[in-house]
Amino acid sequence: MRLKPYLALLPVLALAACSSGDYRLFHPLNLIATQEWHATIVDTIVMLLIILPVLLVLALFGWRYRKGAGAAYDPDWSHNTALELLVWGVPFLVVAGLGYYSVKTIYAVEPYNPGLLQKQEAADPQSVLNVDVIATDWQWVFVYPDQHIATIDQLVVPQGSVVKMRLTSTSVSNDIFIPQLAPMIAVMPGMLTKDTFDAPALGNYTGFAADFSGAGFSWMQFDTKIVSPADFTAWTQQASASSDQLSYEAFQQVAQPHANIGAKISYFSSPDPQLFDKVVAAAQAGVVYPVPAALTKSIGSNEK
Amino acid sequence: MQVEVPGPWSPLLGRLTLDAIPYTNPILQGTFAGAALAGLIVIGCVLYFKKVGYLWREWLTSVDHKKIGVMYIIVGLVMLFRGFADGLMIRTQQVIANGPNAPGVLGAQHGFLPPFHFDQVYSAHGTIMILFAATPILTGFQNIVVPLQIGARDMAFPYMNALSLWLTTAAAALVMISLFVGDFSAAGWVGLIPLTELPFSPSTGVDYWMWAIQISSVGTTLNAINMIVTIVEMRAPGMTWFRMPVFSWTTLSTNIIGLTAFPVLGVALALLGADRYLGTHFFTAGYGGNLMLYTNLFWIWGHPEVYFLILPTFGILSEVIPTFSEKPLFGYVTMVAATFAIAGISWVVWLHHFFTMGSGPDINGFFSVATMLVGIPTGVKLFNWMFTLYRARITYSVAMLWAMFGLFLLLAGGLTGMMLALPAVNYTVHDSVFVIAHFHCMVLLVVASAFAGVTYWFPKLFGFKLNEGWGKAFFWTFSIATIIVFAAMFALGFQGETRRLDWTFNTAWKPMLMVEEIGMILYVVSLACFAIMLVVSIRNRAKNRVGADPWGTSRTLEWLTPSPVPFYNFAVTPQVNTRDELSWRRKHGLESAKPAGFEAIHMPSNTGMPVIIGALAGIWGFAMIWRIWWLAGISLLGIVVCVIIRSFNKNEGYHLQPQEIEAMEKNLATGAIVAEQPVRTHLHHVEAH
Repeated sequence: MRLKPYLALLPVLALAACSSGDYRLFHPLNLIATQEWHATIVDTIVMLLIILPVLLVLALFGWRYRKGAGAAYDPDWSHNTALELLVWGVPFLVVAGLGYYSVKTIYAVEPYNPGLLQKQEAADPQSVLNVDVIATDWQWVFVYPDQHIATIDQLVVPQGSVVKMRLTSTSVSNDIFIPQLAPMIAVMPGMLTKDTFDAPALGNYTGFAADFSGAGFSWMQFDTKIVSPADFTAWTQQASASSDQLSYEAFQQVAQPHANIGAKISYFSSPDPQLFDKVVAAAQAGVVYPVPAALTKSIGSNEK
Repeated sequence: MQVEVPGPWSPLLGRLTLDAIPYTNPILQGTFAGAALAGLIVIGCVLYFKKVGYLWREWLTSVDHKKIGVMYIIVGLVMLFRGFADGLMIRTQQVIANGPNAPGVLGAQHGFLPPFHFDQVYSAHGTIMILFAATPILTGFQNIVVPLQIGARDMAFPYMNALSLWLTTAAAALVMISLFVGDFSAAGWVGLIPLTELPFSPSTGVDYWMWAIQISSVGTTLNAINMIVTIVEMRAPGMTWFRMPVFSWTTLSTNIIGLTAFPVLGVALALLGADRYLGTHFFTAGYGGNLMLYTNLFWIWGHPEVYFLILPTFGILSEVIPTFSEKPLFGYVTMVAATFAIAGISWVVWLHHFFTMGSGPDINGFFSVATMLVGIPTGVKLFNWMFTLYRARITYSVAMLWAMFGLFLLLAGGLTGMMLALPAVNYTVHDSVFVIAHFHCMVLLVVASAFAGVTYWFPKLFGFKLNEGWGKAFFWTFSIATIIVFAAMFALGFQGETRRLDWTFNTAWKPMLMVEEIGMILYVVSLACFAIMLVVSIRNRAKNRVGADPWGTSRTLEWLTPSPVPFYNFAVTPQVNTRDELSWRRKHGLESAKPAGFEAIHMPSNTGMPVIIGALAGIWGFAMIWRIWWLAGISLLGIVVCVIIRSFNKNEGYHLQPQEIEAMEKNLATGAIVAEQPVRTHLHHVEAH
């Protein structure tokens, strides 16, 4: 019991810690992430409206009606129609409200075609940046079909753009996530999923794989940069000067299981224009990239 | 027909070679030494005290629902300890392997567990905790308590009950064997598809996972049938549906879930087995396979499984809270309705385990609202427990403390569960440790109420109470450790840490990872308290002997029997007059009324068949895992032969004669324990009954 006053300090400490930038989800950067964060707050507040009183009443009853305290004791009271209607009614109303809110927000942030960004897309189709994302074991290949470049483990987008990603994987399932920017969405072999986000402010972020995909999974981060449109153009020109070209044959080498320890970024020029579709079709046709046994012993064993 | 597998294969030993034994790994060397030592001590004790015969006659061949329940709980506690050891390794690896400069030993890039080993550890942790710790412990409680609560002599099918236990035990043994022979799955407890397919998991790890679950789920399905039939058919006279204790109600609903859900898992794993063994393409990405089908099938079982665990937990809370509040449960009828509402809704929410799979807003919307609906009956339950405390007379014994902590965990898990039910929120925390912290709130609610149940029903079975002082030490260390570990984990979720990371690459996570580790150390302390509690309680058992109702305020029928409960449960089948029968009888001064006379009791005979079939199932699983076809064939044939032999067994049990019962009941009254069942000849062809 004497611990209780100190336990009360814990939430205060937690709140103090939350103000730091480490709590990325508390600091959304674009429309999508802001809506998601608002949903988090709304849901939490609504739920706390129920949960906090319940906690208080539990503590109150638990203390007041302890044996020996001499409070009123009613050994037969176990039914009250009005109260029982209330205990069904209150959760029902909360769920009705939150359910409506949930469905509404799904359409706003829906990763394939978020309602929040439709207006901007319609007003300024030029601002849409298409990126094809291919997850390998265990790297991310970003193909810019309109800029004719590709990278490994780096996603650079111009400020003000709406980034529309098409996603697939060479062999196993994964999940892509850029905290503060892009929602999580599954990335699966032989299948196409989509993710969309806006890029209102300059900055450097880290995206990563969120769903376990084998031994090299922990090393699947990618550098994410939002740069000015001018810098973006310069960057694409620099990348397209790369002598490495990403033909489908070259891609098959890239897709061999390999953990990018040391987070080396690579650039390619002239990726195969059909690369994404070829990867999807290959997975559907049964092409796999098995993990060599040596990698299961030591993840760095095939480091180049 | 056999698909190509990498590595050697011989007709005699299948894939098994000396290389399969990881004798070079220092972690496993230590584990093996510890396990071998513990095993030798147990075997040594059994031999030294000459208990082999006793163990065989009284336990291994027993069909007594109480002993089977105790054995279920022992299996569950052993596996809980193993699962905790895995959890400790996960937490320690993540805190050491933090940031790009973290040191690495034992072949790991960072930390002490290379990815392949770490992945097995976390996969084993999940598989064990859900299927081989929580499930057996709760099944054990249902076995022990339900027949007593409804006034039955045993389960409807005592032999099948023993068979369920030994199938589950064989499966748990396979998981343990995977530590020292071969490896375990490195693809998560959910079997992440297509990672579990042969090209990506060529070793026997996934096979261990798959066959162990397959065997145990047969046991669980049989047990579900048994429980449902017992509750429907074997209630004592006068026990109408709405006089049945809530724990029995939750057992009924949970086993309806079990009976309908586990076959789905069986089918999903069988199809996966076909992919791995026959070269089919049910769940591959290529050749027309559909990997999302596996994910759907798994969670069509997996989500009902969550409620399969949580409903009996709610049942335990509904027994413990009224007893220690000296009051009936508030809103009994709505409680039963809420139980079945949860069981029903549990079938239509599975997709919330993969809101991020790209199902589109309409489907996600449906499953979001369906998921939230669970919050209504769950909220009702919480309110009902809260009102049970109103104008109560609460005793904070250890069982009640666990129950109160359970309510706290339910609130924390409920709050975060409602957050995850919003896809808009889910997109930001789906595969993060926020989800891990959420469902640990829920499974630790299962653990908390399991410990409430252990404390509460222990004296009923063994005739003495567990030590309250050490019990409280165990409770406080465990619950504070829980809060520390999982508050930090929620924080890490908001910092963007995703799950299953062997290397926690972001140094900003370090402080909270440290906090989690401190909590883990406190868990170790709490385990020590638990062990001391057991030792002290057993040592002082003579001082702590109790009568029929050790708590003095119990309300249901099981407390009418003497403690420990004689093997025939009730000398005379009780006539039930009302809900909360014992408290009604106490009120009317009838709780120790003696029966006028006794009638003969028909009892089932013990049989060694279940343990033999269990052992054969274990051998069959091992043979399938290592692809030793001749052994698999022989053991499967052995099982079939055993079942046929059993079918022609004319042993229909025996009759306990009235004078014997009278003598034993007298003996009980003077404080002696009926320890051993009388050995007697079989009854042949009992007249039709």
